[in-house]
Amino acid sequence: MTLSLDWMIPLIPEEIVIIFALAALAVDFAIVRRMNPAVRWRVIGATACAGCVGAMIWIGRATNYGTSEMLALSPLTQFIKLALLGLALVVVVLSLDARFTRHTGEYYALLLLATAGLMLLISSENLLMIFIALEILSVPLYVLTAFDKTREASAEAALKYFLFGSVAAAFTLFGISLLYGMTGELGLGAIAAKLRTQPVEPVCYAALVMTLIGFAFKVAAAPFHFWAPDVYEGAPAPIACFVASASKVASFFVLAKIVIDGFGPIRGGAAWNDFRAGWMPVLAVLAVLSMAGGNIAALAQTSVKRLLAYSAIAHGGYALLAFFGNARQMLPALLFYVITYALTVLGALAVAGAVENSANGDRMAAWAGLGRRAPLLAVCMFIFMLSLAGIPPLAGFFGKFYLFTAAAAGQPHLGMLWLVIVAVGASAISLYYYLQVLKQIYAVPPPAGAMPLRASRAALFPIALLAALVIVFGCAPGWLLGRLSAVLNSSAF
Amino acid sequence: MNDPLPWLILFLPLLAAVLIALFLQGKPRLSALVSVGAVVVSFILSLDLLAQFLGGAMLSAKFNWLRVGHLTIDFALRFDALSLLMVLIVTGVGAVIHIYSVGYMKGDPGYPRFFGCMSLFTFSMLGVVLSGNFFQMFIFWELVGVCSYLLIGFWHRRPAAADAAKKAFLTNRLGDFGFFTGIILVWSMAGTMDFIRVREEMMRNPELFDAAATGVGLLIFCGAVGKSAQFPLHVWLPDAMEGPTPVSALIHAATMVAAGVYMICRVFFIFNVPALQIIAWIGGLTALMAGLIAVQQDDIKRILAYSTLSQLGYMVMAVGLGEPPAAMFHLGTHAFFKALLFLAAGSVIHGMSHEQDIWKMGRLKERMPLTFWTFLAGALALCGLWPFSGFFSKDAILALACEKSPTLFAVGIFVAFLTTFYMFRLILVVFFNRSKSDAAGHAHESPLIMVVPLFVLAAASIFGGFFGIEQFLAPQFAPAPEAASFFIKAAGFGFAAFAAGAVTAFALYFKAQSDPLPAQMQWTCGLLRHKFYFDEIYAELIDLTQESLAKAANALDFVLKLVIRALHGTAELTGRALRLAQTGNLQTYTLLFAAGIAVVLYFMLLH
Repeated sequence: MTLSLDWMIPLIPEEIVIIFALAALAVDFAIVRRMNPAVRWRVIGATACAGCVGAMIWIGRATNYGTSEMLALSPLTQFIKLALLGLALVVVVLSLDARFTRHTGEYYALLLLATAGLMLLISSENLLMIFIALEILSVPLYVLTAFDKTREASAEAALKYFLFGSVAAAFTLFGISLLYGMTGELGLGAIAAKLRTQPVEPVCYAALVMTLIGFAFKVAAAPFHFWAPDVYEGAPAPIACFVASASKVASFFVLAKIVIDGFGPIRGGAAWNDFRAGWMPVLAVLAVLSMAGGNIAALAQTSVKRLLAYSAIAHGGYALLAFFGNARQMLPALLFYVITYALTVLGALAVAGAVENSANGDRMAAWAGLGRRAPLLAVCMFIFMLSLAGIPPLAGFFGKFYLFTAAAAGQPHLGMLWLVIVAVGASAISLYYYLQVLKQIYAVPPPAGAMPLRASRAALFPIALLAALVIVFGCAPGWLLGRLSAVLNSSAF
Repeated sequence: MNDPLPWLILFLPLLAAVLIALFLQGKPRLSALVSVGAVVVSFILSLDLLAQFLGGAMLSAKFNWLRVGHLTIDFALRFDALSLLMVLIVTGVGAVIHIYSVGYMKGDPGYPRFFGCMSLFTFSMLGVVLSGNFFQMFIFWELVGVCSYLLIGFWHRRPAAADAAKKAFLTNRLGDFGFFTGIILVWSMAGTMDFIRVREEMMRNPELFDAAATGVGLLIFCGAVGKSAQFPLHVWLPDAMEGPTPVSALIHAATMVAAGVYMICRVFFIFNVPALQIIAWIGGLTALMAGLIAVQQDDIKRILAYSTLSQLGYMVMAVGLGEPPAAMFHLGTHAFFKALLFLAAGSVIHGMSHEQDIWKMGRLKERMPLTFWTFLAGALALCGLWPFSGFFSKDAILALACEKSPTLFAVGIFVAFLTTFYMFRLILVVFFNRSKSDAAGHAHESPLIMVVPLFVLAAASIFGGFFGIEQFLAPQFAPAPEAASFFIKAAGFGFAAFAAGAVTAFALYFKAQSDPLPAQMQWTCGLLRHKFYFDEIYAELIDLTQESLAKAANALDFVLKLVIRALHGTAELTGRALRLAQTGNLQTYTLLFAAGIAVVLYFMLLH
């Protein structure tokens, strides 16, 4: 028997990322450890950048698609990996000015490992693989959340995140084992085939719920959201950005994959006149709880990061609406929404990070007069906030519009209209708290003697770029949507 | 047709806004020049388009903005009688107000920002007017809202201005909640958002919206209720007067608030009979309520703001009674004379060093004669005196009401009486009478760049009724039966109302030093002064909801705590070894997590 390395070929992008993760560690250890922090962060950051860019280039050029029992490589998965690498790249750049830790090499290595987990998650076709990828992603994130040793909040958030993550993972694993017990399969396609032919028992629904829990936790859907505000507030700013954007995009994609590919036959119904057991009512309940809970809780926040966390919960609720669209619309609607949302929230959290650095905290008062202290940051925040509130012509508006129309027309006789009305109403309320932030920025005078806020170029450039993207994707959504439809059509999802 | 002309009209103001935002921040003169230039050129180009249109050319311009699956959205500019009229109003009145602002805003530190926002607003408003489908209209609709937010809050260091801006944005958003839902419904049921195609679908299949027809109509109308400040969402407009006066004139009198009326004229085909009836009554109610409130206001701009509300009520009523041309006619003349009134009021405020209380003015006729005469022209047009433009348009609406609904006719006549009454009250107190403060004694006429626009608008207000706007629009809608008898009857009643209003105002205010009414009718006046307590009621309602939400959350907390304690007790009994973390908080969270799973499982298995 000869040792074949063929199995490694489809995973080359992931391998590139992992190799550069190790390289970051090696460079730190061997070369730059004793240099001054600015140089050290730049060199290791550049290594991490190279890893992301290298993987992106490889994905851009590779065309060997195919599906095995474990993994699927399709234009769609590759496109999403590109998007994730792009988001990770922004986080890498945003971290360049971080000074909260002396363990630079470890920091970037863990960040890249988490990215590799994300990429593996996208490709997985098998529940066990999905679970493993999820853990590869989660464990580095727990560590990274605790990375800021100077702040107690960071450790506390990490502990909560970890504990919840473990509980959620336990439930998911339990669900998977139940499914395996019933069907004898772990591949998504095989499970669907079994569910189609054999009678569905009640325990099957229990398995379904348990399996979905892990993802409800990852996308921070209420009532599995308790970790989110703490993590957004406590984790180092770039890590909060990563959790809020890249991790969320991947989780939503995998959730879609599981419910459509794996649980397709036990769809159920959540229309107002047709409530049947299946994943639809589960997601409908999660969506309503998230939209209502997230928005109401956000009204009372005084920390902008916590506010963004609760708004993220609400946005998770909106995104769940996509699952009620018809087969052709649901994925483009979902992916367009979560990708543009990721760009927006990444920018908003990055601004929050910059403000926090200068003012020791992100309480509302720290934002007072930002319009005069840092005009460019303030304008970008203005754009992010309005996009989150769904004001045209920004990306957040078109995403919502497409999502809501997909859900409204997706079921016969406008069955899901009730959920759409809840969503439109919830997003109308949400404007209120976004405007509170803007009021602080523009209307409230800065505290006496406040200095102009000087953000570094490493922070300003990505933020401005993200703001520009939010405008471009809002004014011309055709490009991204067209790409998404094209890769979907050629991927036989 | 790929004529660049229509695109230029729309995008010139945007170009100006971008130029100002990027390059002209420190150059006030140049920014004003660019902004004024853009809107003036737009106006001239739209005159050219009008000439082409009258020559029989069919004008339109579009490109495909988005095509994904079966969702196709065009970016289309639609030119017909309706939109051309609005384009002319927006650019024409807009140009005059831009020029006036050059003088009015002089010396303000945010001068370039002001003109940038004005240009952006002009662009958005033109976008609303020229939109060929619901989606595009909604985008520009919201952009108009954002511009209004920026401009009301222009003096953002004044807390009142910042609050007013927020209130306007949020209230509008409530209306848009309905509008957006309506658009989603239309798209889901008709499969298209293009105005023309939706109309065709409805012709082909009258049962298209089925039982939801009234609902769809009213949801779409919600948008107009917000933007045109109809009851019960009218509360934001008077507060919006915190913005600079040219903004009040352009946005909160002549154009933006008219967008709601324009929109329901544009999609008139979507309303069925019950929906139209509700629309007519909401319009009538708004006209009446705002007219009453205006009688007891003391701030010169607020009086005009309530009068705007009242006139918008007339227009909405006309649409509800099935006659969009009458509504648009009044919209056109109203744009002239209300812009004039606001600019003249701005001139007064400018001359009085930013005093707005009418009881501190007086005898300004001698100090500001040009302002006085133009203001008078606007006021008489507003009161609907022949041969001023307001007479023709108001008479058309009153005749319509007379024909269709006696009750609304009575409301209309009473509102006409109120209008005359509060306008003469304002004129008598501000321009005649004795001067009641030092500022009034030292008031001065405004500079030429502010006075000339007044004269232009005054001319339009006087002669605007003769242009035949209604006939211009009529072919687009079903032709109205000519009923001369109603016009004469309405004109008769209208004049009687005018005379009665004027006489009452003279009797009460010709020599008054303070308002004599509150002493005589304490209770009623209190009600009117407090604007029927709408703000208070809404604040109370919001407080109440917040409180009950908080209480509900507390109750939930309490129950959860009980459950947790019970479980905690059992845990203690079963052995301390099982206790994982001692933080308490974490245990609570995990427990909630498990409870969440239980809830979801319950829904799954028992439903």
